[in-house]
Amino acid sequence: MSFWIELAATGLITGGIYAVVALGLNLQYGLMRVMNISHGEFLMLGAYLTWLAYTVLGVNPLLSLPFVAVALFAVGVGVYWLCFRRILGSAPSVEVIEARSLLVGFGLMFLVQNLAYLAWGADLRGYAFLDHAVDLGGVRLMANRLVVFGFAVAASLALLALLRYTLIGKAVRAMMQSSTGAQLVGIDTATLNPVVFGLGLALAGVAGALLSMVYEISPGMGEPYTVTALIVITLGGLGSAIGSLLGGILLGLVEAFGMHFTSPSLKMLLSYGVLIAVLLARPQGLFKR
Amino acid sequence: MSAMTLAASLRITLLATLALAAMPWLLSDFALSLTLSCLMYTGLAVSWAMFCGATNYLSLATSAFFGLGAYVTAWAFGDLPYLAIVLLGGACAALFAALVGAAVLHLRGAYFAVITFGLGELVRHAITYYEKSVHHTVGRVVSDPPAAETVYLAVLAIAALAVCTALLVRHSRFGLALRGIGADEGRAETLGVNARLAKASAFALSAFFAGALGAAMAVRWTYIDPPAVFNPFIGFQTVLIAMVGGAQTIIGPIVSAIVFSLLTEFLRLRFPYMFLIILGAMLIVLVLYLPGGFASLIERARQRRRKANA
Amino acid sequence: MPDPVLLAAQKVTVRFGGLVAVDGVDFEVSPGELVGVIGPNGAGKTTFFHTLSGVLAPTSGRICVAGDDLTGKAAHVYAAQGVARTFQTPRVFKEMSAEENIRFGLEFAGRTRRHDHDAFEDAPAILDILGLAPMARLPAGGLTPARQRLLEIGMALGARPRVLLLDEVAAGLTHAELDDCAQLIRRLRDELGIAVIWIEHAVRVLMNYVERVAVLHQGRKIADGDSRVVAKDPAVIEAYLGEEVAA
Repeated sequence: MSFWIELAATGLITGGIYAVVALGLNLQYGLMRVMNISHGEFLMLGAYLTWLAYTVLGVNPLLSLPFVAVALFAVGVGVYWLCFRRILGSAPSVEVIEARSLLVGFGLMFLVQNLAYLAWGADLRGYAFLDHAVDLGGVRLMANRLVVFGFAVAASLALLALLRYTLIGKAVRAMMQSSTGAQLVGIDTATLNPVVFGLGLALAGVAGALLSMVYEISPGMGEPYTVTALIVITLGGLGSAIGSLLGGILLGLVEAFGMHFTSPSLKMLLSYGVLIAVLLARPQGLFKR
Repeated sequence: MSAMTLAASLRITLLATLALAAMPWLLSDFALSLTLSCLMYTGLAVSWAMFCGATNYLSLATSAFFGLGAYVTAWAFGDLPYLAIVLLGGACAALFAALVGAAVLHLRGAYFAVITFGLGELVRHAITYYEKSVHHTVGRVVSDPPAAETVYLAVLAIAALAVCTALLVRHSRFGLALRGIGADEGRAETLGVNARLAKASAFALSAFFAGALGAAMAVRWTYIDPPAVFNPFIGFQTVLIAMVGGAQTIIGPIVSAIVFSLLTEFLRLRFPYMFLIILGAMLIVLVLYLPGGFASLIERARQRRRKANA
Repeated sequence: MPDPVLLAAQKVTVRFGGLVAVDGVDFEVSPGELVGVIGPNGAGKTTFFHTLSGVLAPTSGRICVAGDDLTGKAAHVYAAQGVARTFQTPRVFKEMSAEENIRFGLEFAGRTRRHDHDAFEDAPAILDILGLAPMARLPAGGLTPARQRLLEIGMALGARPRVLLLDEVAAGLTHAELDDCAQLIRRLRDELGIAVIWIEHAVRVLMNYVERVAVLHQGRKIADGDSRVVAKDPAVIEAYLGEEVAA
């Protein structure tokens, strides 16, 4: 019995990370139609920053979290200004914005990933943090995984609260529903876009920092998370923050149980199959009303 | 639009093809290999632009088509003559594209790009699973591959055919329909264009060449396994080459393919990470400042000259 | 014997989720008719046009073109059967020249259709009718909005239609331009023998040029007949109460 709970717990924890990453991507795409395919690379940067802080400066990874968030936020604003602002200003149609930002995203992916390879090499790196087991009523879980899950959920809920209750959150939601309408009531996209973009990357960075506590890191670690984030967004519905949260957790659970029943090599097949099936059958997502 | 007539363009293509056909007996092994690489990317980029340049779709399915063609070789080599395998590879890829197209071509923009990217990965993992569970193997060996000249001539023929097809399509009603779809699909439909049929046909046509190239090139790997032939990088590079050259033209991707193959050859093995960093930076700069590719620079200069003379 | 009715809508209903945009509308157009379709904002006129041209399939009801049931078929089938349309915001092919824009329709829907009139012969002829001949080689995206609107009509004419659906071609035109436009529309019917269905907000202008008018209100057809009679219909006047009857 506890075996199933542990499996479910693994799924929830992975799902929590997926949710955080997907939320960031969702915000960016929902608001600006920018499909930042390099999203995972910034997750990787967050992981490396945390690892560096721990191994070089001895900083507790949990303490690094806010710094990573702020750093990646700044990076996000910079990336937006350098790369995406121009596309949003000059493209003749939404499709062209999507296509061009996708291509720029690929360029960023090559750029960032290989800079990381150059800087730190291809070997796996890692550090040990809270890697002892905790007993919760008969279920044994690793302490670091519990912490990661807690922070992932906290970050997701914080973002959801931000979207729902703050003025800036309402502005974002308004923009996502109707860009023209939002601008007519005075919402300033020139300021909102970089902020949201930065927020998205900050979330990715935080996810990466959390992951570094549990897994080993490498420059190529980001890409699979981008793909998964895309699947989650598709499952949960574009523009639906709660959809990303639920979709992420659902996918984590599906993967955990799926991997147990079928061979691990089928995991990717399952993921891509799900993505394509959902895109075809219900392009607006499973959770959108 | 193209400054040359269709007949003139076809004539030049034919002459170039004949000249290139003599290369195996004139060039060193290294130079021939380099030319082969140029020809492969020319074929891939031109056939990609044939569909995506006109219709403004962003397809990352080239890797899937190429890999499928390569696996036709992996499965059929030895049982069928080389030429038949190449054609079969193209046909299988085209059929796959037609079936898939029926399901996904109503999507656009990033959705379409992502789904075509996912397709490549899906096919790769599907074949991996199939090979492992049904054939209990990871990869396949190509024993007794055809001579280098044969492979070269096959790839040359496919590339030349791709260019001629692209030229013919461009000057035909079919090409006009595709351009209308790219400009405003809904409008084109109300003017009589069967968009679904046109898109599926063009998608399948461009897939044929990618599949044929995959089948032809596969014999150069003596050991074929899914990660080798289903390489998403082939898809990215094709898109990059076509866009840098100018996806709306035919000469753009050709020139771009040549430049890229040379750059790849001289940089990639020596500085693998630096190469990708430069590639990435180039892609960003290009999309931001020259989305029509280099061919658009030439077109702009031509228009300026026209206005000055008017 | 060929069916005299060119285009017929039978109990056409269009529902978007909970919203009923078009509600059980019956409508017929015969050859040579010039019919206006008017109604206050949100009446469902453009949505109705979408069903008549195959752009949108009705939730229920039938659309028949010359007796053939084309309900649910793609827009290009409608075009091939002689139903051509313009859009409220001109959707010209911006990068192509004016002439190429018109030739587009001639290459596809217009190709299979016989034409009885020299005006449909080729793109230059159509440009002539519209007075756009001097702009033939210019890119469509560079034309003024008024000219783009004319080009829109030209593109539809390229499909050599039997029925032309015009969606608010007069929007934003000056008084003089409006009269020119209306006269052009009249000429299309009188000289080229095309049936025209014309949605218009500029009701007063339309009323002067059409013989018959149908009125939509909240998705339902509330009047359909001689323009002079409909103008005095109390239900029609009530529907427009509070609306600015633009001219």
